[in-house]
Amino acid sequence: MAATALSLSVMPAQALSPRSEVGVTSTAIKLGITLPMTGSASYGYNQLPGAMKAYFDYVNANGGVNGRKISLVVKNDGYLPKQAIQNTQDLIAKDKVLAVIGALGTANNKAVASAVNLGRRGIPSLFINTGFSGFNDRKAYPTSSTLLPSYIMEAKLMSKYIKETFPGKKVCMLYQDDDFGDDALVGFDKSHGNMDFAVKVAYPSLSQGVAGVPDSWIAKFKAGGCEVQVVFGVASATLYTILAAAKAQYAPKWILGSVGADIGSINPATVPYIIGATSMSFMPSVVDPKDEYVAKFKEINTTYNPGAKFNSWALIGMNTAFVAVQALKAAGKDLTRASLLAAIDNNGSKFANAGLVPLNYSKTSNVGFNGYWFGTFNKTGDLVPNETFTYTPYTTDSGTGDVVKTTYVRPAMPAKGLPN
Amino acid sequence: MRTTSFKSRAFALFSTAAMLATLVVAAPANAAATDPVCDGKTPVQTCTGTTSDGAAYKMAVPATFNGIAVIWSHGFGGNTSIPAAGFSIDSTAQLGPNFPGGNGGDPAFVKYLTDKGVAIMGSGFSTQGWNLDEAVKTNAELIGIFKAKFTTTTKVVAMGYSMGGGITQAFAEQRPELISSAAVINPVDAWSSQGKYFLDMLWLLKTWFDPTIKLTGYAAGAAGDMQMLSDLQKYTAVLTALSAGVATGEWPTTSSASAKALKAGGIPSRSALLMVGRLAGISAQSSSFDGIAGPPGAAATAWPLAYAPALATLENIAAVLGYSLLGARDMEAKMGGIWGDNQKTDFSKQLSDEDRTVYNAGLSGNTAINAMLSTLSPLNPDAPRIKGDAAAMAKDASTHYQNTGKIKVPTVMMIGQHDPVEPAGIVQRISDLYEVDFAAEKAAAMKSAQKSGAYVAPARKLQVIWSVTPKTWSKFNDDGTPITLSRTPGTTHTNFTLAQYKVVIDTAIDAAISGNLPWTGAHLSKITKAKGLKVDRDTLYPWMKYYNQ
Repeated sequence: MAATALSLSVMPAQALSPRSEVGVTSTAIKLGITLPMTGSASYGYNQLPGAMKAYFDYVNANGGVNGRKISLVVKNDGYLPKQAIQNTQDLIAKDKVLAVIGALGTANNKAVASAVNLGRRGIPSLFINTGFSGFNDRKAYPTSSTLLPSYIMEAKLMSKYIKETFPGKKVCMLYQDDDFGDDALVGFDKSHGNMDFAVKVAYPSLSQGVAGVPDSWIAKFKAGGCEVQVVFGVASATLYTILAAAKAQYAPKWILGSVGADIGSINPATVPYIIGATSMSFMPSVVDPKDEYVAKFKEINTTYNPGAKFNSWALIGMNTAFVAVQALKAAGKDLTRASLLAAIDNNGSKFANAGLVPLNYSKTSNVGFNGYWFGTFNKTGDLVPNETFTYTPYTTDSGTGDVVKTTYVRPAMPAKGLPN
Repeated sequence: MRTTSFKSRAFALFSTAAMLATLVVAAPANAAATDPVCDGKTPVQTCTGTTSDGAAYKMAVPATFNGIAVIWSHGFGGNTSIPAAGFSIDSTAQLGPNFPGGNGGDPAFVKYLTDKGVAIMGSGFSTQGWNLDEAVKTNAELIGIFKAKFTTTTKVVAMGYSMGGGITQAFAEQRPELISSAAVINPVDAWSSQGKYFLDMLWLLKTWFDPTIKLTGYAAGAAGDMQMLSDLQKYTAVLTALSAGVATGEWPTTSSASAKALKAGGIPSRSALLMVGRLAGISAQSSSFDGIAGPPGAAATAWPLAYAPALATLENIAAVLGYSLLGARDMEAKMGGIWGDNQKTDFSKQLSDEDRTVYNAGLSGNTAINAMLSTLSPLNPDAPRIKGDAAAMAKDASTHYQNTGKIKVPTVMMIGQHDPVEPAGIVQRISDLYEVDFAAEKAAAMKSAQKSGAYVAPARKLQVIWSVTPKTWSKFNDDGTPITLSRTPGTTHTNFTLAQYKVVIDTAIDAAISGNLPWTGAHLSKITKAKGLKVDRDTLYPWMKYYNQ
């Protein structure tokens, strides 16, 4: 390669001219997502891209973001880290997306961060779909942001709820034996939630591929005289645990973690034992008749996601897209990866959205939501706070901060569901 | 004995070790170098001779010699001679890479060079086993011999693979004035790192699966070779038992008491097998197992998460076992005692946070992971650590040149993503270190430009070409059982095509002529046309475990 000479006097002019960014043209913005669209771990999650696309299409039909239409490239990783790595490499190198958005799973996001090295390359991975607290380490994940509350926060809130609601009862827990469960154990420990369990059973994280749980788990809980049963696992483990418990005539009060009880993944028609179980959410109930966000997103879903049921997945997917559009707008007309990340740091905590707890983005925090409200599953399998849909959300942090009732006031839905 | 032929011989040993009869150690000659004797043939003449240390050398020089000569360094050759087992020291002069079944260098590769007027030379080296220091001296002498004979020589390009890749890198670091560019193909790492890689794997296998394996402290001479062969048989038996146990979870019957306790705790042997790979740094993707595809049906997710990584580890261990055991044994003989010492190794720190998460299902969860790691504690008498001999360790520390990875001449590197013998992290580290150096060069150039008013961009002196796998490659029979695949691109050791070797040497020759590596679109297109290759500075592979200490 021959040495090149460049007059320094030219450089300032070059620096001043706007540079083009990968995934951005004068008329288009390209985003990408990798998640399980097929396979045993795909249930529910595979509805997220459809809802996200529906909202982007709605925005596009109303002029786009600064005149640019948004597209979403969807890749199926089957919940396999090696496939997630390939997909992300393809999204960046072949599809040339501006940013990855909503990538699912702790293991997948860790594998991608390490092998594809989004941080060093300045590629945003926005609103990743995992509550593992490790992703809130900005040094390790400088271009990532989370949306879900951390599992530590969840366990802390759960501790408070159980101690207040079931004082003196024997509490037991089934948890996943990996980062997911480790976060829960931290949240329940003496310096955080300070929750004592009479019986704890850890299960290996292969549950996505396993149909059923050993009867021995249930036997341990029964033998321990458990009255309140926490399940901090994925949907399949939660489902099969409840089924096995019914078969063994084990009928505790169920407290289901937000991941395993992902609303809609357990159908009360086939699993009636779910009715009355307690779980938690940071979004409004999908059947809330008076929530303006639910109403607007449902309307958009009907038009732009025809045939797809409006459920909790659709609500979360659409809300993610709704937040993303605000980030793209806040990044300005000269949209770059850097300006997009800066927009979330500077303005993200003020983004309107359906969440009933605040977003916590700042220059020093990539933490999304930080709390939950508690509710029970009704006869249609929907999580509701009570008959009047009155929510009492709590917030906390992933450290040793208190669990408090939040005074957060959600911004009103912008006119026509389009961010200003 | 060359890289590719070695493997087949090593596996042949598994069934013939008991037939060991006599040991013949080839003693290198120590005389003056001989001038090349050339046959004078056209269009290509062949010259032969020996260097002063007794290494047989060979040269192929075209009548149209254009002044550019390639010096080739061959791969690892066993330094143990066991004729009855069909195993002998091979010091045949080599000219270029061998493909399976070949020896002496591939004729098509030699012809490719000589057709374009480029000469090639190479020796068999006087010493086998870990011979980096001896080989660097031999190569320097051989270049001198060549230049004296062919006085129109203007440029020399160093090229080699595997052990020879490490030799080429060492040569470029130590004698940059003798070459114009280098082509380094899946190089061994510095011995401190490479030796640890071998020893970690061997010790972990022995500790959990068969504590009667000796591994270190072999007797001198033929008796020691017998002991090593006995170990090789035991390792083979362990791998066979582990293979059978992947589906059932059963452990080898020879397993240690600690391992049997793990088994009693419900931990399948495949998790321990995978743990060996994660702790040593062996790729969990191999020729047959991609960790992505699974048999259709209920196991589609469970298979790639829980079974494929263990099977890939097993397949990769089988590929590196012979090299590692013979290499470790040879070094012990050369150092006169136990050169390795893992008394202070904290294996729990060798499991990366990423591996703990990504392979969590295959490792059977955090409780199982912690239980397995606890058995490797230095305090566990059932897992005795290797205590090195002080004199041998001192000699080991001072004898070998340790490759630094410093790039001093334009260098092209090629490596497979999942090479089981020389993991991709070896080249990743060199690449990462070079990026730091290059950034400093650019900063210096900018500073200089502030004074001179003109910015002269520094030339990038390292081009890494990755041999990459297909997107997915595992295949299954109708009954869901996996199909064994050989030489999937990007996997196995020195698994390159002639077209790929050609593009690498062309890159190095271009750099030798112009002084800089080619980065043009036409060049990158040429790499693409060689198929299965990619120039990629964005994908990262973990460094060898040695550097995490």
